[in-house]
Amino acid sequence: MLANHLEGNIRFLPSVDSWEKGIEEAAAPLLENGSIKPKYIEDMIQNVHTNGPYIVIVPGIAMPHAKNEDNSVVQTGVSYLKLEEPVEFPKNKEVSTFFVLAAEDSTGHLDLISDLSTILIEDEIKDKLEASKSEEEVLEVLNSVE
Amino acid sequence: MANSAPVQDHVAGSNSPSTRARVQAFGGFLTNMVLPNIGAFIAWGLLTALFIPTGWIPNEELAQIVDPAIVYLLPLLLAITGGRMVGGQRGAVMGAIGAIGLIVGSDIPMFLGAMVIGPLGGLVIKKFDKMIENRIPAGFEMIINNFSLGILGFGLMILSFFFIGPTIESANNFVTASIEALVATGMLPLLSLINEPAKVLFLNNVIDQGIYYPLGMQAAAEAGKSIYFTVASNPGPGLGLLLAFTFFGKKVARRTAPGAIVIHFFGGIHELYFPYVLMKPLTIIGMIAGGASGIAVFSLFDAGLVAGPSPGSIFAYLGLTPKGSFIGIIAGVLVAAAVTFLITAVILKFDKSSDDEELEASVEKSKSMKQAGKAVAQPALKPSAKKEAIDKISFACDAGAGSSALGATTFRKKLQKNDIEGIEVKHYRIEDVPKDSDLMVVHEDLQERARRAHPNMEIIAISNYLNDPALEDLLEQLKK
Repeated sequence: MLANHLEGNIRFLPSVDSWEKGIEEAAAPLLENGSIKPKYIEDMIQNVHTNGPYIVIVPGIAMPHAKNEDNSVVQTGVSYLKLEEPVEFPKNKEVSTFFVLAAEDSTGHLDLISDLSTILIEDEIKDKLEASKSEEEVLEVLNSVE
Repeated sequence: MANSAPVQDHVAGSNSPSTRARVQAFGGFLTNMVLPNIGAFIAWGLLTALFIPTGWIPNEELAQIVDPAIVYLLPLLLAITGGRMVGGQRGAVMGAIGAIGLIVGSDIPMFLGAMVIGPLGGLVIKKFDKMIENRIPAGFEMIINNFSLGILGFGLMILSFFFIGPTIESANNFVTASIEALVATGMLPLLSLINEPAKVLFLNNVIDQGIYYPLGMQAAAEAGKSIYFTVASNPGPGLGLLLAFTFFGKKVARRTAPGAIVIHFFGGIHELYFPYVLMKPLTIIGMIAGGASGIAVFSLFDAGLVAGPSPGSIFAYLGLTPKGSFIGIIAGVLVAAAVTFLITAVILKFDKSSDDEELEASVEKSKSMKQAGKAVAQPALKPSAKKEAIDKISFACDAGAGSSALGATTFRKKLQKNDIEGIEVKHYRIEDVPKDSDLMVVHEDLQERARRAHPNMEIIAISNYLNDPALEDLLEQLKK
């Protein structure tokens, strides 16, 4: 499930200047394929400004997301960005892996979340994921758990 | 089906798609189609209660809005929402195009039809888009997208126009014939079996003005009153239904139901409760039982009205009650309300523990069992651990969709792994966390806001939604 949604939405970059830029880059594939509108990216960044970096769900991994307001999410989707150099979020939280979550409503994406949880809960799989260097490798790791 | 299909597909794809889970997914779909539009129903209800000729402050000019709003606005809204749920914005457009065919092709408000054609339109365009995906020559996307929608919509519009007329006519004939047969048997309470579903399908005018009122007028000419005026216009069942939603419904349904009561029971606009039945179709059982009990009480007291109450508000009822019938009429309304309330409450209660959340949980369960290679029967053999203190844990975050869902899902898996049962773990927007939660888990950054919203709740603040030490402690505590 997660793998299907991520296909074509996976990017690798050496580094980004700021965490805001990181969210923007990570969400770029969703913007490109029309799943989200630019406002959703602003909302995700604003969410961290307002509520703090709680989207850093485990050390090193962020799951940027926001409420779907004014239909800024057209279609449920996820995208993935891996940085070689971690970028710093507020409160000195370093992040090198982004899972952008764009959910059309509060229920339709729960199976994606469930898959994500399965991956992150197992240290071994998580490590493998963080070591992946190409889209194929990432998808392979994801497929291995489904 | 952008937001509910992934779940359904998933169920279908996993090892055992229970029928129940599918029914629930379908119920959730109906709810999501109706709920966003309740406001429009309320606007229409207020307008109607106030301005129609028999309303509180009749106003001919403003009353002109009443018909177009119920005939066009409300069904179109349902079709658009349904279309969007299945096929995004293009689905929404397609749903609306299809619905206008139905609307013009029939002469009653096409609510149910709109709830079918909306998602259907969405599905058509979604399938089509999938088919031509990656086959459009570059530069032609815009023109192909617009014309495909236009041409398919054109077809759907015509199809629904020609399809609906005969369908409605046969439904009318069926309802009329059934009612006549039932009246002939003399078993009046049985009439509710036809009345209540027909009302929700907007055949209420057909049955009231076409059948019951003529029958009633005949009887009233002789006896001065007639029970036929009451059989389909009793505001009691609707009151019971809305009260049940007020106490046992969920979220938006729960919050809007009290307002709907005012417009329905006092304003006499029965249409206000229809969406609630449409989103939980099982509640029609409560409506039928309530309606039947009402009729039974009316006949027991030999009560009746002197004319057809229109609109069917409690005031119109009392105004048209002849001397000597007051007790019977009031008792009939109250009994109907009570019976519907009780049955609907049970239905909603049962539903409460088994909505999308459980669907999700069941998907997850079958999945994790598959992974662990466990036998399905095993958990049942374990005596459930005792935890008198904690049986409802709510994870919360800003939107109630992202990190809280991740946290809740992960924690449920951990509970499962440890064979801990009987604890409800769900995720919410901070402000929506139910008051009866035993504790709330929230990210430390959101802790203050959580405390403001729920000053008396036990709150666990975490910095990591997956492996926080505080959650490990909680798990240990629950194991005991």
